[in-house]
Order: sequence, then structure tokens, then C-alpha cells
Amino acid sequence: MSWITSDLRAPAEAKTPADDGYEPVTGLDQGTVQCVRACEAEAAAKTASDYSHVVWAYGVIWALFAGYGILLWQRASAQRIDTAELRRRIDRGASP
Amino acid sequence: MLARLPLVLFAAAALAIPYSVQRIFLHTGIEKKMGTVQKIFYFHVPLAWIMMALAVACGIAAAIQLRRRSQLAESISIATGELVLITGLAVLVTGPIWGHATWGRAWTWDARQVSTGLLWLIFAAFVLLRRYGAAGSERLAAALAVFGAVDVPVIYYAVKIWKTTHPSTDVVGSLPPQMWASLWPALGALVCVTLGLLLVRIRQEQDQAGLDEAWIALDTGGK
Repeated sequence: MSWITSDLRAPAEAKTPADDGYEPVTGLDQGTVQCVRACEAEAAAKTASDYSHVVWAYGVIWALFAGYGILLWQRASAQRIDTAELRRRIDRGASP
Repeated sequence: MLARLPLVLFAAAALAIPYSVQRIFLHTGIEKKMGTVQKIFYFHVPLAWIMMALAVACGIAAAIQLRRRSQLAESISIATGELVLITGLAVLVTGPIWGHATWGRAWTWDARQVSTGLLWLIFAAFVLLRRYGAAGSERLAAALAVFGAVDVPVIYYAVKIWKTTHPSTDVVGSLPPQMWASLWPALGALVCVTLGLLLVRIRQEQDQAGLDEAWIALDTGGK
């Protein structure tokens, strides 16, 4: 631990990176760190909330289109059955 | 060729949807004021444009139906009316979701929201009247559709005439090129899907009219 204390006590005497690649950690004060973390947490919460809104919006759009597509498919099926029935009735009426 | 057009449009949409989504989320920057939630814009705004275009088309088709009793115009008015209901609901749901995140309130009763809600209610009445109305109600429904189309300019100019929470119409024109490059594919994808569904529905309505006539002719012995 002596190398730490020596750096703290006498920063001017600290070795430069050019000497042996060592660079002392200056660090941030606790207040700045807490402020940065709070901002990061707030930004993360906002982004998560935004994505939740975006997913709901996109989901609703495509669910509506898919629902209408299914409705059209059901109508087409009903029309096919109706057409087949009409054809049967016409064939029955035409036969002697 | 016309019969296969919906399939071509759906195939184009199947390519355009993933392309537009990856453009929106991976290649378009996050808007500074609103953040990530602004990405709802790329589908909300084109849907609103499509809804207004369909409402105008429905009004024109209904007016032709009233004047000339054209079967094709009637089929177009029914199909466009139903799609105004679908796209309108999508606009009325995605808008408040966006508003909830941006304005802090889903519904602010601003002029554009109210006029869009009114348009949706008019076309809901049109669709219900077409589906459950008694004989002769198709003329009343057509008049409602014309009335609904008149609401479209009100929606467009609402932000200019009244003080609203919605941004002005100039915002879209002043978008940076990067946002336009993401808006076009989204608009294209939605137009392909809507047009495909519209063509299918028009064809169905015409087939149904033909079937009804055939049944009547069969039951009356072709008299």
C-alpha cells in the first residue's frame, strides 16, 4: 500500500505514464458519482417506459389489421359455401 | 392481373414492414425532446393520412352511389368505410399512447383529437347502418359518408384554427432527411396493406351482390 499513500501525499512526485505505464487514478467525488447514477437510472426508466409505449402502439396497429384480415377470410369462406349451395340448387333444378 | 393485385400488395408489404421497422429503430436517431417514444410517429402519422384519404374516397363513392346508383361505387364506399373504421381506431389508440408518454395525458380534448373521434363515430354509424339497416337505409348511410368526408378538412386545419396540443402541420414538412427516409417505407408498407385489404373487400362486396341477385333469380324462377 505504500505506493498509494506516496501518490496521495505527493502527487507532484508521481511517476508519469512515460516512465513505466502507470497512471494514478484521480476518480470522481461521491456527489458527482451519485448524480450521474441518478441521471442514468432516470434515462433508463424513461427509455424502458418509451419502449413499452412503442410496443403497445405497434402491437395494436398490427392486431387491428390482422383482425380485419381474419374477418375478410371468414366472409370469403361463407361466400364460398353460399356459392357451392347455389350451384347445387341450380344443378338440381336443371336436371330432369 | 387485377385479381392477383392484392397478393402482390401483401407481398410488397411483407418486405416493406421489416425494412421500415429496422430503418426506424436502427438507422434513425432518437428525437431530442420526446425520446424513443417519438418512433410511434412513423406509423401514427401515415395511418392518419390513410384514414383521411379513405374517408374522402368513401364520401366521393357514396355521392356517386346517391346520384347514379352505381354498384361499383356502393362496393367502394362500403369497403373504404370499413377501413376508415380500422385505420381510425389505430390512429385513436396510438395517438393517446404517444400522448400519455409525451404530454403526460392520453386524451387532452384538443380540436384534432375531437374531430378525429367525430370522424370515427360517423363512419361507425355508416358501417352499422350498412350492416343492420332496413331497406332504403343505404341512401341514409351514403349521406352520412358524405358528411364524414366533410370532417376531413376540419381535422387537417384544426391545428391551424384552434390552439391545440398537437403540433402544427408544418412539423412534417420540416423533418430532417433521415426521418423522411424512415417515414416513406412505413407509409409504403401501410398503403400496401390497406390497399390490399380494400381490393379484397371491394371484390367480396361485388361477389355478394352477384350472389344475392342469383339467389333472387333462382327463388323467383328467373321472372
